Amino acid sequence: MSEAASAAQGRPARRRSLSLAVLLASLAPVALLLLVLVSLGVGRYPVPLADVFSVLVAKVFGQATSLDPAVQTVVLNVRLPRVFGALVIGAGLAAAGATYQGLFRNPLVSPDILGVSAGASLGAVLGIVLALPVAAIQGLAFAGGLAAVGAVYAVGLAVRRHDPVLTLVLAGVAVGALLGAGISLLKVLADPYNQLPAITFWLLGSLASVNTGDIAAILPATALGLVPLVLLRWRVNLMSLGDEEARALGLETRRLRPVLVAGATLVTAAAVSVTGVIGWIGLIVPHVARLLVGPDFRRLLPASMLLGAGYLTAVDLMARTVAAIEVPLGILTALVGAPFFLWLLAAGKRGWA
Amino acid sequence: MPLLRCLLALACLWPALLWSCLAGSCLAAARPFTDAAGRRVEVPERVLRVLAAGPPAAVLLSTLAPDRMIGWPRAPSPEERDFLAPALRDLPATGRLTGRGGSANVEAVLALKPDLIVDVGSTAATYASLADRVQAQTGIPYLLLDGSFKATPETYRTLGRLIGTPEEGEALAAEAEKILKSVADAVAAVPEEKRPRVYYGRGPRGLETGLSGSINTEIIEAAGGRNVAGAGAGGLAAVSPEQVLVWNPDVIIALDPDFPKLAAADPLWNGLKAVREGRVHAIPTLPFGWVDAPPGVNRLIGLRWLAGLFFPDQFPQTLGDAVRDFYRRFYRVDLTPAQLDRLLRDAAGPGPAR
Amino acid sequence: MILEARDLAFGYGARAVGSGVSLTVGEGEALCLLGPNGGGKTTLFKTLLGLLRPLAGRVLLDGTDLSELPRRDIAKKIAYVPQAHAAFFPFTVRDVVVMGRASRLPAFASPGPADRAAAERALATLGIGHLAERIYTEISGGERQLALIARALAGEPRLLVMDEPTASLDFGNQARVLTQVRRLSETGIAVVLSTHDPGHAFLCADRVALLHGGRLVALGPPAETVTPETLRLLYGVEVAVVPLPGQGRAVCTPLIG
Repeated sequence: MSEAASAAQGRPARRRSLSLAVLLASLAPVALLLLVLVSLGVGRYPVPLADVFSVLVAKVFGQATSLDPAVQTVVLNVRLPRVFGALVIGAGLAAAGATYQGLFRNPLVSPDILGVSAGASLGAVLGIVLALPVAAIQGLAFAGGLAAVGAVYAVGLAVRRHDPVLTLVLAGVAVGALLGAGISLLKVLADPYNQLPAITFWLLGSLASVNTGDIAAILPATALGLVPLVLLRWRVNLMSLGDEEARALGLETRRLRPVLVAGATLVTAAAVSVTGVIGWIGLIVPHVARLLVGPDFRRLLPASMLLGAGYLTAVDLMARTVAAIEVPLGILTALVGAPFFLWLLAAGKRGWA
Repeated sequence: MPLLRCLLALACLWPALLWSCLAGSCLAAARPFTDAAGRRVEVPERVLRVLAAGPPAAVLLSTLAPDRMIGWPRAPSPEERDFLAPALRDLPATGRLTGRGGSANVEAVLALKPDLIVDVGSTAATYASLADRVQAQTGIPYLLLDGSFKATPETYRTLGRLIGTPEEGEALAAEAEKILKSVADAVAAVPEEKRPRVYYGRGPRGLETGLSGSINTEIIEAAGGRNVAGAGAGGLAAVSPEQVLVWNPDVIIALDPDFPKLAAADPLWNGLKAVREGRVHAIPTLPFGWVDAPPGVNRLIGLRWLAGLFFPDQFPQTLGDAVRDFYRRFYRVDLTPAQLDRLLRDAAGPGPAR
Repeated sequence: MILEARDLAFGYGARAVGSGVSLTVGEGEALCLLGPNGGGKTTLFKTLLGLLRPLAGRVLLDGTDLSELPRRDIAKKIAYVPQAHAAFFPFTVRDVVVMGRASRLPAFASPGPADRAAAERALATLGIGHLAERIYTEISGGERQLALIARALAGEPRLLVMDEPTASLDFGNQARVLTQVRRLSETGIAVVLSTHDPGHAFLCADRVALLHGGRLVALGPPAETVTPETLRLLYGVEVAVVPLPGQGRAVCTPLIG
């Protein structure tokens, strides 16, 4: 094929995507830092930005400060864990979503596809109905998320069909439906005055009650889950070719797939156990990141994480400042995510280029 | 032959005469009544078995006519049983007919053969139409009575008359009026700024609250407090700790019995004025919640409690005596010192933080 | 000899699509597999690649049974060129070709300079270096097929298995792909390919295998195996096999009417 003939195809070389990526790579961390500072400075309790800095500086250097203890509480115990939580959870959910989209060869897949959110929800709802302390509710949610994906994977292994990926998806649908039925049953049995509202709020997702203890609890699981995603980042590209081609190229997909699924699931289960179900981040953010930096997972992963962290921080900022009451995060992310999704469907071309 | 014809006519007509007599007596035996939702209900003369359609109705009925109750919407827990009169402890669970999540099986309802179904709560169109449907399906008269707090004496009187215990209904109505009046008088004298600002905390970390105007918190205003979550829209909502810090309430009442201890230890909460001064109180819930679970006549003692918390000088009678009297009169239970102590301990709170 | 199939039965699950297939592929040999649609050519290829388990018999790579080898080791020696399909993600052609280096990289590594150089060589060999920065989903079917061949070559295999590489390509692209096949076997890389046009066997193959009813009915040089009788057996139509004077090969065309 001669050069002239290919040029006649009409598409210029995609140099611009490379320079765009470089630009984003340098600007994005800066933008994120700015967003973090804004989030720390804004809230319903009036704190001047200078005081925010003073409190942070004093904490970092271990100095005493003469500032009002309430201000210190607001900055260090309310806003800081919340913003940090938004960063970690937003990045984690986006990373999990990007991984699943590659594994399942579908840009419209979310981390919930294998039932991790349904399992975590069942665990948490059970904890609420049994009136357990918060730590136990979170632990049950985490365990429930892992168990659900484990069950789906076990079904996938037991049913030896030609397409292992499709089998996983279908098993995920079935197990997810079963878990949803369990959640509905628990809702019926719950005390409607005390427990049912708590269940409803949990299922809608919120960062309002995140404290430093929660962050400390989810960091190890999130970090552990991210390790295989980072180490295998180039191989995820190959996994997106499908099981047969990936194996033909030399990948042991039977071993790689569960490792990647386990990593993404750990990250998602940890996030959901603390915040409840926040949808659309794992679906929309990797998609936008792919539009910006391309599908190569070596660039897609960090881009998704940055975007996810920023997106959730911004959404949480809105959730806690628009009104005296908290707007549940799940509602806000759906209000933004669903129209965007519809626009993608309408404007999307074949191949999702 | 005119006499024979007359006798023949009488002989043919006697079944009709008999039927009309019987029908007439049946009609006479049912009294038409217009309930609080404006529905015409035929209440039978003799009402011996009454089914409570939901928790507020069950509480009302258990105070008014426990011998006519045939079941609880939800079986009481072992803890709650200890605080109930012996006759009421072992009544079966019948499920809820309406309200949030109806769980009663209609056939089971029929099998219990109630003479009357009573529901106490909202009289809005939804509940009225639900009442009509159940009544049409089962053929059992279904009464919908006003469950709002202020209508408590009226509801007592009405139900007492209908089920044949008018004296008891009148007596309980008078007691309720006494409590309501004493609180209203105490509160009326207090200007707006002196009324304490109250935060009602529920949910796993105390970050769920009832907005002012919701049925969950109406006794806070009735007791003379000001709900800090003042949206006026009713309902429940989640809030962030930061918002609670902004509100800085004078008093915190919490549904979780462990919350006062947790708040004293948690840096997020122990900077608040209310926590420092020890004005964090767990809401007693045995056998029924004092503030809202369920939103029924059980709130009368909660009203007295809160008013006593907010304006201690206005209430010479100690809380302990008031609680003992209330439980004896309404719940027909003589509290043991241990039981009373437990209720008062929750209600009093941990005291000022050291 | 590199690849050997011994009395191979192949299929999915319990259903055998073919049986009793024995063939060998030697160094630098081009073997063309002919058979009708749905005859099991793709299934046979997947079994030869180790992607499907044989139902009976064995597949040996350099004397070792495939089932005893890890996928990496198999992929180092045999590369697969599937039919050019629509891909989901917009990788560049260079990214796609570099993927062929997976078998040469340790478990957690990403491609380095040596791998990128190997990819460049593969692109140059196929003459599609100018396509390197183009998006794989935006180029034509023929260009995609060449890119997939380059991907297979980047891994430096000794045997290429190509499943109908000329399907849905225009006349010119078909010729170009077949030229590449000829060149590859001249450089010592063995090629096993299937094609729907018997005439292609004459263009590029050293030996031809005919698959009919799940069995190998002929195996040998094109002149002996591609005859009107065998083609009638395979495809159920009358075919004229006309030698091209001076070219040493023939043209096949169906006789209609």
